[in-house]
Amino acid sequence: VSAVRRILVVNLTRFGDLLQTSPVIVGLRAQHPGARITALVPRNFVDVAEGLPAVDDVRPFDFDGLARLLLAGKSADIRAAYAIVEGLVAELRAERFDLAVNYSSSRMSAVLLGLVGATDTRGWTMTPDGHRLITHPWSRVFSGSCLHRRQQPFNLVDYYKRAAGVVGGPQRLFFDVPAAARARAAELLAAEGAPEGTPLVALQLAASREVRRWPTASFVALGRALHERLGARMVLIGGGGDRPYAEEVAAALGPMAIDVCGRTSIAELGAVLERSRVLVTGDTGPMHMAVAVGTPVVSLFFGPALPFDTGPYGADHLCLHADVPCAPCGHSVTCLDPFCRDTIAPEAVAEAVVARSTGDWAALEAAADRFPAVRWYRTGFDAEGLFDLERLGSAPIDRREQLRRVYRAVWKHALDGTLPQLRGPRLEREAATLRALVPLAAEGGARAAVVENLARRATDLVALEDAARRVEESAAELYRFGAMHEPAAFLVQVFRFDKENIAGDGVAEIARATRVLHEELARRARLLADLLDPPAVAPRAVPAGGGYDARPS
Amino acid sequence: VSDHREPNLRALAARDPAAHARVRDATPLAGATVAAATGVPTLEVGGVLLHSRHDPAGEATRWAATQRGRLDAGADTAVVLGLGLGYHVEALAAVWPGRLVVVEPDADLLATALAARDLRPLLERIELAPDPLGPDTIDGWGRVVVAPHGPSLLRAGEGLRSLKERITGRTALRDLRLRILVISPLTGGSYPLTGYCARALAELGHAVTVLDTSPFASALGGIGGFTPKKAVQKAIGEAFANFLGTGVLAAVEHHDPDLVLGMAQAPLSGAVLRELGRRGTVRAMWFVEDHRLFGYWKDVIAEYDHFFTVQAGEFLAEASRSTAGRVAYLPCAADPAVHRPFPLCAEERVELGAPVSFLGAGYHNRRIAFRSLLDLGLKLWGTQWKGAGQLESAVQRGGARITTDDMVRIFNATDVNLNLHSSTYVDGVDPRGDFVNPRTFELAACGAFQLVDERALLPPLLRPGVEVATFRDAAELRPLVEHYLAHPDERAAMAAAGRARVLAEHTYRHRMEALLEAVCARDADRLRARTRGETVADVAHACGNTPLGHFLGELSPGMPFSLDGVAKGLLGRPGRLSDPEAIMLFLRELDGMYVEEHRT
Repeated sequence: VSAVRRILVVNLTRFGDLLQTSPVIVGLRAQHPGARITALVPRNFVDVAEGLPAVDDVRPFDFDGLARLLLAGKSADIRAAYAIVEGLVAELRAERFDLAVNYSSSRMSAVLLGLVGATDTRGWTMTPDGHRLITHPWSRVFSGSCLHRRQQPFNLVDYYKRAAGVVGGPQRLFFDVPAAARARAAELLAAEGAPEGTPLVALQLAASREVRRWPTASFVALGRALHERLGARMVLIGGGGDRPYAEEVAAALGPMAIDVCGRTSIAELGAVLERSRVLVTGDTGPMHMAVAVGTPVVSLFFGPALPFDTGPYGADHLCLHADVPCAPCGHSVTCLDPFCRDTIAPEAVAEAVVARSTGDWAALEAAADRFPAVRWYRTGFDAEGLFDLERLGSAPIDRREQLRRVYRAVWKHALDGTLPQLRGPRLEREAATLRALVPLAAEGGARAAVVENLARRATDLVALEDAARRVEESAAELYRFGAMHEPAAFLVQVFRFDKENIAGDGVAEIARATRVLHEELARRARLLADLLDPPAVAPRAVPAGGGYDARPS
Repeated sequence: VSDHREPNLRALAARDPAAHARVRDATPLAGATVAAATGVPTLEVGGVLLHSRHDPAGEATRWAATQRGRLDAGADTAVVLGLGLGYHVEALAAVWPGRLVVVEPDADLLATALAARDLRPLLERIELAPDPLGPDTIDGWGRVVVAPHGPSLLRAGEGLRSLKERITGRTALRDLRLRILVISPLTGGSYPLTGYCARALAELGHAVTVLDTSPFASALGGIGGFTPKKAVQKAIGEAFANFLGTGVLAAVEHHDPDLVLGMAQAPLSGAVLRELGRRGTVRAMWFVEDHRLFGYWKDVIAEYDHFFTVQAGEFLAEASRSTAGRVAYLPCAADPAVHRPFPLCAEERVELGAPVSFLGAGYHNRRIAFRSLLDLGLKLWGTQWKGAGQLESAVQRGGARITTDDMVRIFNATDVNLNLHSSTYVDGVDPRGDFVNPRTFELAACGAFQLVDERALLPPLLRPGVEVATFRDAAELRPLVEHYLAHPDERAAMAAAGRARVLAEHTYRHRMEALLEAVCARDADRLRARTRGETVADVAHACGNTPLGHFLGELSPGMPFSLDGVAKGLLGRPGRLSDPEAIMLFLRELDGMYVEEHRT
């Protein structure tokens, strides 16, 4: 029987992210049946949180109110804001959480989790002296992956699950559409001349940023094609701020369109999606909502969006990824020529929707070869239950894809102990880079061992200080190596987070942990290299007969 | 006139041994005491009559009455500047029951007064301010009203006037927490000082922002690439200066500082300074330059409220004539957080160490003077050594720029650090050299031994032969280097003494304290009028006996209350964060993520 009685799940980001925590919450409930689960969410997403099964208690967090007070900025306002946070912290502390899981990777949330002080906190939190702490190895790999997204090995939801200690867990998202919302959506659609049974395809027209928005002209062309081929009507969805796009598309499509954009609550949006056969969308909150209510998704990835990290978490959805060399853009860049949006042709999307709505996977394989400017992926789960993307069509695996897959295998091995099984092209160049990292890491480990020994003997402080500095020099060299060599960057970044998060009493213990990290880095680098460029004989690191399969295909 | 000297001295010895020691051997001013019409003695020194020739006591009573009103407004201590023969102090003591301090730095005048009148009752009642007057003494006085004795100030001149400024400045500063914008130069020797000054000002409890203009240095350097025509380059340069000025004004608009402190060569044109003046911002410049080499000070000095120089003497007078603002001497200093003894590993000693080295640019006089040291293991660090002939063989790292970090290591690793103030025209030591460069203080703060050329302003700062070793000319250099190389004990003793002196008197914190005191002595009212809104103390009071109230109670009480100000500096501090600290940090993060961009 689990000793965990009270669980806090914190997600202070967007509504899509909140939906993506649903499998974790359901998984936590299954693992700790007696525990009470509290979700701390921004106040405007309370109705999303209330639709998550297994949440016992939704604690709204009034961001907007706090922000207004801070914007006003008088001392009385700041004191009022202070009192709100103080009250929230007191309430949360009183719950005496055994487990807190923070899914917002921000300093702000880290400070809050530090204040709440649960017995066991996963994700970003704060040490008593105010430093950021990323407490779970999966959270650290996630934080590292955000900086090296080209090698993004896992879906966000899997990071969420593993960090919370959820083993297996549901392979889908959840949202319970309230009956009232369902009724209201039915009314809305009926009023637009779409009674129950009308074939509907939902179109999410907008996105958080311009560079993430598929052009309205493409949506119009898609709508016409789908109306012709499926006899379907297009339901235009979105928020109040998306009205201009909806008006433009609605005007072009005429009676083919049903414009409910800005006219639904989030729960009613769920109900509308429930009624749709397919949703066509970018990487958006409604995409996750469709997955949660069981509607197949054809999702378009371009700009900064990647199907690997935020793709629709469920089986048999489609991801169309614009295959341009610069993908994905960094989150902090502003692209002045987002040509990747136009790489995804309306004809390709129409093909995807038609074939997906009839479940014709052979047609989709053929379509993937007909539209090679786009990578076609089918969503699913691997043998370990981790979300995976299956490439459709007959294109061979390229270097970029292979590096990502090798990283996936290495992290699975490192974090879960899964034995790597992999085929693909041989990447000698990348392997050579990783092999060059091995001695650097080993040297750092040896230097840490010197510190460890000196500290245990507690003798010469000057020598100890000198030895400790040499360890830092080693680390600096490793960081520099990571910065210079893309194939090694992700590995080194996670090493860096691991190192920053070493906790321990006393120099010897910290030095020991530092040594272990260096040794781990060396092992991981060697494994990466061997998987990228398998040696003639299987390396000894992997037990014989352990399913190791790294031969080139 | 009877001689009251001995009984007065005995009374003083009992009351204030330090003052007694100061007066004991002083000589009364000859022939200065004369009888007034009322029969009591009065005093005339250097053509200044210190008390009435008719009725000194009556005059004193009227003076005391005017001071009384100021004291009643709230004071712990009345500080009278100038003792004279004491009539005015007696009159003030008769109407003011509180603490009474007399500042009289002139021991001879004290001796004159003690000889002229029976001051025993007065000596019982008053305290004589110690000389030199330390900051702790001033702080011990609490709320101060300064009562200047006009004739004494007239007679004593600069000495007593500067004491007055120190006292009024320091006491005014106590209640002021200023917003200060420190503006760096684009590049050059005074650039690192920007950070040192900013840190010191922040340590003194002020809200400091640095405007770092170094990102524009390469743009300035690139102007020559547009055209080889000098006149056109000049026009582009002016446009560039206007561009920087616009930026400075934008920064001032955003930060709304009470005080702008420009470091030498900061991009502050006359027009920008005038605009700052219109806004009511106090404008100060620390001109850490040789005025003979950098003449631009003449164009801008009139726009500054305060102009601080590292040169004294004639230049101070000349500069003062050029402005209605205040000009004051403020020598360079060191930052003990940066310039410190530093343990080096063996490898570093090999690379960075040497029997003799010099770190700095290859100016003309250095190229001449250092030649004689080539066979003593000389290393030269820094830029502009190309074409230095034989000396080039001693140049390290190909004449690359040396970082501050490495500089400190090099100072620490060198047996004899050379420090020769630059000159573009003298062959060795500049005979007219006056100011002391930052390197002098930085070397001393590192606990490193240095051999520095004699400078007119050096002895009061660091005692030659005790706290620092000096040389008079290039010919003396080699024998002195050989001597000190052979006497490591002398080196160690001098280095230690030099470091102790710098830590005690010559840090940037000392300088910034002096600078702010000078600013406040003149502009306290203007600055006080600017401090708007609530202070941390106000909010702490409003929060009462709550965790937030206690937390705020520990911060600088006079600091303007703002989320940023309160949260600043919480991170990176050792020790546990308290709840109020963490909550403030949370709000600050939230502000940064969601609110800041909406602020106009």
